[in-house]
Formats: sequence, structure tokens, C-alpha cells
Amino acid sequence: MTIGINEFIIASSLLFLIGFMGVLLRRNTLIIYMSLELMLNAVNLALVAFSRFNQAMDGAIFVFFIMTVAAAEVAVGLAIIVMLFRKKQTVSVDELNQLKG
Amino acid sequence: MNDLLINFLRETSQTNHWFVLLPEIALALLAISMLGLDLFKKSPNAPSNPASRLNTRISIIGQIGIFIAISCFGSAFYEENRVLFGGLLEQSEKTQFMRCFFVFASISITLLSDRYLGKFKLPKAEYLHLSLLVCAGFMLLVQSAHFILFFVVLEMVTVAFYVLVAFQRTHLLSLEAGLKYLTLGALSSTILLFGIVLLYGIAGNPEMAGFVQDGFQFKELQQFISLHPENLIVRLGALLVISGICFKIGAVPFQIWVPDVYQGAPTPTTAYLATASKAAGIFILIQLLQGPFLALSAFLIPFLSVICAVTILYGNIAATGQTNIKRLIGLSGISHAGYLLLGVIAAISVPFAFDAVLFYLTVYMVSSILAFGTITYLGQVEESTIELRDFNGLLHRSPFLGSLGLISLGSLAGIPPLGGFIGKLLLFWVAYQAGLFFLLAVAIIGVVISIYYYFGWLRAIVLRPEGEELVEYPLDSSPLLLSERCFFISLLTLVVILGLFPGLLLNLI
Repeated sequence: MTIGINEFIIASSLLFLIGFMGVLLRRNTLIIYMSLELMLNAVNLALVAFSRFNQAMDGAIFVFFIMTVAAAEVAVGLAIIVMLFRKKQTVSVDELNQLKG
Repeated sequence: MNDLLINFLRETSQTNHWFVLLPEIALALLAISMLGLDLFKKSPNAPSNPASRLNTRISIIGQIGIFIAISCFGSAFYEENRVLFGGLLEQSEKTQFMRCFFVFASISITLLSDRYLGKFKLPKAEYLHLSLLVCAGFMLLVQSAHFILFFVVLEMVTVAFYVLVAFQRTHLLSLEAGLKYLTLGALSSTILLFGIVLLYGIAGNPEMAGFVQDGFQFKELQQFISLHPENLIVRLGALLVISGICFKIGAVPFQIWVPDVYQGAPTPTTAYLATASKAAGIFILIQLLQGPFLALSAFLIPFLSVICAVTILYGNIAATGQTNIKRLIGLSGISHAGYLLLGVIAAISVPFAFDAVLFYLTVYMVSSILAFGTITYLGQVEESTIELRDFNGLLHRSPFLGSLGLISLGSLAGIPPLGGFIGKLLLFWVAYQAGLFFLLAVAIIGVVISIYYYFGWLRAIVLRPEGEELVEYPLDSSPLLLSERCFFISLLTLVVILGLFPGLLLNLI
């Protein structure tokens, strides 16, 4: 049995859904960020699979842009988490409830 | 093989007309010079030092120069109907207008942020640097015609906004707002990205009839989608892309972040989010619906109509019980996004609706900046906690700030003869022409509800409560500068003139 495009896309969709549920359900900010990264990597997997199947390179090149963007996002995100931890000594989203009303 | 590659490179580079991007490049250079200037300062972060206004002055002068260059000599940076950068960019008269719009918004934000950052003793250079980059990003975003450029520029803007929202980094509310915006913003970007990838994958699939070479390019995608409007993956991809953009404009059910982020973020950032970010989202939504997703409109219109109706009602109903000013502006901003969506849906069948949306965006931008200006100048203490009652009798305490508040809120509520009234009238008229009677009825109900809370705010500004002794909110002790006064007076006249002579702006669009 050969692994075709469908298996790749199903795997990538599953990874995407796992990441999505992780963002919605987990309470620890660091794990939420990891879930976001998982979603981005699911997209990367789909892109590379499509790119190979379609015989076009631009999908594979897009992956590099996505990786760069993800790195920038996490750099800003971790900086915010560090500042928050210094103020509140916690990274759980349950404790971050000052803004409401 | 080698010759083929060289020819390919030569052909793509022939369409690289760097000169049309000169305004964006100039903005980026200006942004870098903001950081460079900081190196030569002797005492960093000294707000009492008059030299600390140097950054702001240079930034504003530079931006005014760019604004004049685009608005007066715009044809130099404008090549219609030409392939630019191998199909990455596409310009039209509408994108030229939006470029002016974003530079104007950025100038206003620079002025507001100067006061705000001085008040809280925050570093100016970094803030100005990021806000200039955001402006350049928005200008590229409205011109992009390729999903790779689209995504990269969108992320450039969004990541800069994460920093701008969390900029008051010693303050818990600002950090919390930054964290919430980052988590939900990254989630929406990923959803949008998955949609892009699905569209790319199906459009380039060699087994599909009429597959295209570059599944990211808007024009090629449009050709493919017009052949397969019934395809499930095409529909799913388009739906995911639209959802990602709806998050950026704060439409229900993606509005969850709006009140929290608007409240916690520094006021200039909130103003930027409310005006430029929403305008960019609405503009690219129209461009996508009239470009790649044109063949899908029968499928997307019911979806967008539900979002539009729920957004208008949710924004207005949630705002009625709200007393915190920045949350109130955020929630009423959701309802404004709903009115704009009405114009977006109408624009699919009525071409003039595009102009109506741009007019509404402009008036909304000017009025919102006046309202945020009033908030910035109102108090010295923490701005995230300003309540409706802090505006009590503002007209008597400071006639200038009071009248700023009156005109801006009147325009946002849509009171004739101010600009906001004409904006709403134009939107409702195009909705009537497009035959969206149900949505029109919902929008009119929404306006009626909105009058309730806008008038509560206006009453607080005009009337001084009698009987009870209220602690008056202390006004900012440092007086308004002459330049700030001139700027706000010119914005005020702009709101009034747009209400009396809307043709002036409509001719420009």
C-alpha cells in the first residue's frame, strides 16, 4: 500500500483539530502556545503534501514563510508570558481574569 | 534548464516596479530611523526633556510628506492594469484611496500616542517604530493579490499589534489584553492559513479540470473557482478564509476578544485597532468576495447575512449595559462592523456600495479618533478604568474637550448633519438597492438601540449632575499644545463638512 495525498491530508486535518481543541480546552498558556504551533505544523504538512502532489514548488516555499512567522509570534508571546509571570506568578488563563464586565 | 531558469527570473524581475512601492519603503525607512535616533539620545525615557518630542516630530513630518506625495502625486506610485512583482500586487483607485486612509490614520495615532506615552513615561521610539511598520503593512495588505504576500503582510501587522497591545508592560491589564489578543489572533491566523492551503491544494490538483499553475494568485484562483463552485474543499477553504478575516474585524461569533483587548490596550493602540485594522479587514473582505470568491457568492451570502444581523444586534445590545468607556467603544465598534458588513454584502450586486463602505470607514475613522482623543486627554490616572460617569459635566469643565466628545459621539451615533449620518444613510441606501430588506430592518433596529447608549454618554458630557457631590475626574494637567488643538479642530471641521458636502469625499473615492 502506498501512502497517497489523502492520507497526508487526513493526518494533517487530525493534527489541526488536536491543536484546535488544545487551544480551546487547555488552561496553561504555554500548552496553548504549543497547540498553536501544532496547528501551524499541521498546515505545513498539508502544504508540503499538496506541493509535492501538484508538482509546484511555491507551496514548499510558503512553508519557510510560515515557520518564520511562527517564530516571530512565539518570540512575542513568550515575552508577554514572562512579563505576566513576573507580575502574577502564574501562567494559567483561569487566573488572568482582570478584564471582564 | 539553466537558460529556462534565467529567462524565468528575467521575466519576473521585469515586473518589479519598485518605484510604485516608494511610499511603503519610505515608511519603513522612517520606522528604522526612529530606532536610530534613539541611539543618539543622552537620557533615555525622559518625558520632561523637550528633546523627547523629537521622534514624534520627525515621524509626523515624514508621514505628512508621504501623505502629500500619495494624495497629490499619486499617479507616480500607481500603475493600473499591470502585473506587478509577478502578480503579487494589484493596484486600483480604491487601493490608492486606502493608502491615503492608512497614512492619515497613522498620523493621528502618532499624535495621540505622543501624549499617552509621555503621560505614562513609556519609551516612544519603539512605539512609533512599530506603528509606522503597521501602517506600511496595511498599505501592502490592501494591494496584495497573492495569498503568500497576503499572509506574510497580515502576520507582520498582527505581530506588531501584539506588541502594541501589551506595550504598557508594567501594567497587568495591558499584558492580559496582549495575551488574549495573541492567543486568539494566532488561532484565527491559523484558521485562515488552513483555508488558504486547502484552496491552493485543490486549485493546483492535476486531476481537476482546469487546474492552475499558481493556486495562491487571486486571478488564477478566481478562474479555477468559477469552474468548480460546488466543490466541497473549495467551499470549506473559502469559509475558513472568511472566518479568519471576520475575526480581524470583530464580527460575531469571532468578537470574543474585542471588549477585553480594547479595554486593556493603550488608548492609541485601541484607536488604531478600531480604525485601521477594521478598515483593512473590511477592504480585503470586499476584494476577496469580488475577486477569487465571486463564483461562490450564492453560497457565502447567506452565511455573511447571518453574521451581519447577529453582529449588529449583539454589538448594540451588549453596549447598552456597559459603563466602562473603552469597553463601550469596543462593543459599539462591533455593531459598526455589522453595518459595514451590510455594505460588503450589498457590494456584490451594487457597485456603488464599495464607495459607500469607504465613505463610512473614513467618517468612522475620523470620529473614532476624536473620541479616543477625548479619552486620552481626559485623565491622568489609569485609562482602562474610565467610566461613563467620569464624563459628567465635561462640557463645563473643559469646553474644548467637551465639544470634541459631543461632535465625535454625535457622528458615531449618526445624528444629522454630521458625517456619520450621511455614512449610515449611504449604507442603508445601497442595502435597499441590493434588496437586502431583512438586514436593513435589523440595521435600523440596531441604530435605534445605539441611540440609547450614545445619548447616555452625550447627556453625561452636557449635564452636570445636581444634588449628589461627585468626585470630578481630574483632567490632564499639562495643557493642550497648539498643534494638537489645530489637529483636533481640523478633524472636527472634517466631520461637519463631510456631513454637509459628502460629494467632496465621494468624488475622491
